[in-house]
Amino acid sequence: MAAASRASLLRQTQFLASSPTRLFSSTTQPLRLLRTTPSISSRLLLAPKWSAVSRAAPFSTTSQRNLLPPGPQVIEGTVNDPAAVPKVDPLHGSYHWTFERLLSVGLIPLTIAPFAAGSVNPALDAALIFSLIVHSHMGFQSMITDYIPRHKFPTMRKAFSWLLNVATVVVAIGFYEFETNDVGVTEAIKRIWHAGENDATIGKTDLSSLGHDGKLKNLK
Amino acid sequence: MAANVFSRRALQATSRRLVAANPSTFSKTPLSRLPAPAAVAMGQHIQNRQAATTQVSQSGAQDILAAQRRHRPVSPHLAIYKPQVTWYLSALNRITGATLSGGIYVFGAAYLAAPLFGWHLESASLAASFATLPILAKVALKSLVALPFTFHSFNGLRHLVWDTGSSITNKQVIVTGWSVVGLSVVSALALTFL
Repeated sequence: MAAASRASLLRQTQFLASSPTRLFSSTTQPLRLLRTTPSISSRLLLAPKWSAVSRAAPFSTTSQRNLLPPGPQVIEGTVNDPAAVPKVDPLHGSYHWTFERLLSVGLIPLTIAPFAAGSVNPALDAALIFSLIVHSHMGFQSMITDYIPRHKFPTMRKAFSWLLNVATVVVAIGFYEFETNDVGVTEAIKRIWHAGENDATIGKTDLSSLGHDGKLKNLK
Repeated sequence: MAANVFSRRALQATSRRLVAANPSTFSKTPLSRLPAPAAVAMGQHIQNRQAATTQVSQSGAQDILAAQRRHRPVSPHLAIYKPQVTWYLSALNRITGATLSGGIYVFGAAYLAAPLFGWHLESASLAASFATLPILAKVALKSLVALPFTFHSFNGLRHLVWDTGSSITNKQVIVTGWSVVGLSVVSALALTFL
């Protein structure tokens, strides 16, 4: 008896789920084209101005302000099962948090140093860029955790996590090359930042920079 | 005779209408509740309601439920909240962080791949090509880098202060938020033009 009624209930929900002609249902975008929407004039006639419900109802039951379509609906267990408590691991909790903060605090002097001193030695420069890479990696990790929930998109979560890991390794190797073959990150930014700043003085010789012989004093 | 027939038919019609309108009045007499002896004798006193059913497996039922859940109303999103400096800066902190980190990642990967594609991403050639840009493009590019950098730096300090458990009242968050906006805009302009 119970099984029979459940089956008929399921059939009903299946029918509801498959019918695209319901008004005010939050169906996905393509279905909305098929649906007949009442014209503005008839809607105004039907809904008196003082009725708050008639104005609120379409807002809360349509997908008109739907920024993100609902993801896959994953149903795990029944309503009577308790939520699984994740395994306690300090590496995923307090240690991770503390390391993140220590790294951020460490970035403060590393960021100020180039501005204060004008330039930094290669070791400090390398420390800055590799701290920034780890900081970025952790930032991207928390974005993946926030926006790709594991229970809804398990495959995409795994794919993005590994994509990030690979990208971080590639970027770290890239900056190792840059640090060893080029002038270093802070010096490079400085050069690009001030590139072409003396264009206006080209061709106009500043007399004070000329020596007694009429040649530039500080010519390198 | 004729009047008799007419009145009998009128009575029949009225009683039929009454039964149709309110069946319980007529069917729920004490006598009618007793099972008819003939039906009991022939084993036909059990009512059968014919309903078409289909066997649905456990996973099939889950699929139907999942499909049905997709038609539930979607709860309103960010757009319904009043714009406030608190959550706007929180969102901006992530956006600027992602922008800066994305820039670092793109450059690092591109620098490693540059020899394969013949790109010139050495600092000297980058500086030389930046020097050829018109002044407006230079200012735009510089401010596009400087503003996220200054904002994320100052707002990061704000976050670190919060992590110590201080300055977390609503008023303090608003005051420090606007301070961060002012500081980052001024310092970004200074970096761009100085």
